[in-house]
Amino acid sequence: MSEIAVRTANLTKIYRTDFRRKPRVAVRDLNLEIRAGEIFGLLGPNGSGKSTTLKMILNLAFPTRGTVEIFGKTSSAAASRAGVGFLPENAYFYKFLTGEETLFFHGKLGGLRGAQLRDRVRELIELVGLNDARSARLSTYSKGMLQRIGLAQSLVHRPRLVVLDEPTASVDPAGSRDICNLIARLKANGTTVLLSSHLLTQVEEICDRIAILDRGELVRAGTVAEITESRRRTELVIENAPDALLAQLQAQIQNSTATLVTKRPARTSLEEVFLAATNRPVDERK
Amino acid sequence: MRRISAIASTTFTELIRLKLFYAVCAIGLLLIGGSVFFARFSFQEEFQILKDISLGTITIFSSLLAIIATANLIPRDVEDRTAYAILAKAVPRKDYIIGKLLGAIGLIALSVLMMSALFFAILALRENAVLNALQQSPASSPQDMAATIATIHHAASWQLVAPATLMIFLRSAVIAALTLFVSTFATSNAFTIVVMMMVYLVAQLEPIAREYWLQARTAGVAARSFLALVAIAFPDLQALDFGDAVASGIVLAAPLILKAAMLALFYVVLYALLSIASFSGREL
Amino acid sequence: MMRAFWLILIFAVGGAIKIPAEQNLARQSQARAALSLGEKFREGALLASLSGLRALAANVLYIEAHVAWEQTQWARMLLLFRQVTALQPGVVLFWDTAAWHMAWNASAAALNDSREPRVALRVRRQREFIEIGRQFLVRGIELNPNQPQLHEALARLYRDKLHDHTGASDSFARAAALPGAAAYDERFSAYELSYCEGMEADAYERLRQLYQRGERERLPTLLARIHALEEKLGVPNADRVIR
Repeated sequence: MSEIAVRTANLTKIYRTDFRRKPRVAVRDLNLEIRAGEIFGLLGPNGSGKSTTLKMILNLAFPTRGTVEIFGKTSSAAASRAGVGFLPENAYFYKFLTGEETLFFHGKLGGLRGAQLRDRVRELIELVGLNDARSARLSTYSKGMLQRIGLAQSLVHRPRLVVLDEPTASVDPAGSRDICNLIARLKANGTTVLLSSHLLTQVEEICDRIAILDRGELVRAGTVAEITESRRRTELVIENAPDALLAQLQAQIQNSTATLVTKRPARTSLEEVFLAATNRPVDERK
Repeated sequence: MRRISAIASTTFTELIRLKLFYAVCAIGLLLIGGSVFFARFSFQEEFQILKDISLGTITIFSSLLAIIATANLIPRDVEDRTAYAILAKAVPRKDYIIGKLLGAIGLIALSVLMMSALFFAILALRENAVLNALQQSPASSPQDMAATIATIHHAASWQLVAPATLMIFLRSAVIAALTLFVSTFATSNAFTIVVMMMVYLVAQLEPIAREYWLQARTAGVAARSFLALVAIAFPDLQALDFGDAVASGIVLAAPLILKAAMLALFYVVLYALLSIASFSGREL
Repeated sequence: MMRAFWLILIFAVGGAIKIPAEQNLARQSQARAALSLGEKFREGALLASLSGLRALAANVLYIEAHVAWEQTQWARMLLLFRQVTALQPGVVLFWDTAAWHMAWNASAAALNDSREPRVALRVRRQREFIEIGRQFLVRGIELNPNQPQLHEALARLYRDKLHDHTGASDSFARAAALPGAAAYDERFSAYELSYCEGMEADAYERLRQLYQRGERERLPTLLARIHALEEKLGVPNADRVIR
């Protein structure tokens, strides 16, 4: 049994907006275990409680009930975040600092100093491909560049756990592929990655395990294979089948007790499971 | 400690790179420089007015800077989500608050230093000019002459004024700490600034509220509770103001300045603690 | 909830520490502490609206008072000086100037007011202005008891405007006792005493002591006053300073 990076127990968040309105449940009784070294995806439409969950894990928001542990330490202690990096959604960072200064600042907060810090900053600037923009102020950066400097900031102190909130949101396809590659490299180094996303195809590609949230509740959890596999369904993937064979198969199924659910060229995707679980289209926003 | 200094220095850099700082300092310096022209009154009054105007200007502009610069530090961080990235690291919230406050206080120190430097330079220049004028028309006796020169030295001495500028700096640091506290629960930048303007006015009246309350004069329960609230919650900004005394040539006793400085530091610590308590309980 | 608890606790403890400290400090800053609550409130209300620009405001009002003097608007000048001294009670110059304008300029103008034909009324106005000037100095001294300049100004007012030699002598003596007093304050106090009926012996003693301090004190007036008293008291020739 490998080490547990993040464990939540009955994690619940209820927002009391004002006196007249009913309290809103953002997250209800969430139990998650994220193992060290894996890439864990938190999936859900907007408003499903992903960001609130991440905030509670990082102690930015406080659970109404339940607990969070990071590598065995309770998350309300700052020390529990010594090996944690976080990329917030749509973060802007300090516009008046240059890319390099931003990394120096966050490196110092992460406890780095001196030559070690300088080497690490150079390495990361290289890694996220911002060499040409290293001395430009962030106010001149594009969204994609900001996202990359944000990613570098979350990695500067070589954290054991990296939390990424919608890491590829508002990044162009090429940039988003770069970020995915980077996440894969992190895993290779043994870093645990917890990310939230509503881009299913991406999550499918890179995550070892996922959890699907809907209206604050956990509806599915497991490996991508586990939750896309239906226990009483069988998927045949046939190559170069003539039309006659397909018609024959279909006829045989009709004659048996089985039902043909779908007939199409692709395999069952995570998207389908997602839709079935949440009853909502993927790109429903706000 | 290293985390606090990283946050403080970055905050300082942020504030320096904002155009606001230059605007406030430029106007302040202009006013102090201009005081030479409207101070041409009479021999004895010249230094009095020069000192009054300059110390008043430094007070006002460093207080303004303390409010405007500090008000937006935390709200902007939260809005841009930079605060998330910072606090998701092993940075306790108290370190974050202390770092922000120290950064703002650093900015205030720089602005008070700049304005004071100009003020002292003008004092020295005017002293020279007045002494030169005196040489042109010497007084009756050497004794009188020596006495007059001593009077001028006393009136134009920057060493006698320096403690007051130190207190202006500490007073603005108190205002910055208070602003930071208000900003930890404020919903907008404008709210913080408006609230702080009112707090500033009430704080000027705190000594009166305190005395009325302590003297237990005839007043209703509501009025007395209000006075008590003002006396307990607000700082006594007048107690930290030595500009008038110094401008009129009073030599400040070291123990008095020391006590006032201690009181100012106490206020800074008090409002920093309140900021920490308020911010630690806040959800981002 | 915890947040509110901590905030209230810190406020309460902080308030308990700060109030005695503030009271202690307030008692030490001379002039401001001596203002009556009423005066403080007037000052405070004005102050709140000026919020820290007190010194600047006082100077602007002072210049306005000066203009009012040039235009001989006495009532306006009085009002402005009241505001100036309330704003900056610690500035001796303001008390001194305010009193001088009232007791000397305004009073003289009242006496020579051609619009008022009745002499008695003009004299009464003159005396009122002198009294206002005197009150400025008395209040200024209450608030700044250690400033010889104000005692001296009060002494001159008693001597030149009210011809009250006892008052003048007392005030000169008080000025002389303070650090930073002018060298002549002590002499002037003795001179004034020498004019007071029934005080001749005391005055003579003080003048003699001054005389014995050496050449620097032996000014023509001192010698003249000693001589006058020796005549008046009938001091035997052998004992006389001036023979």
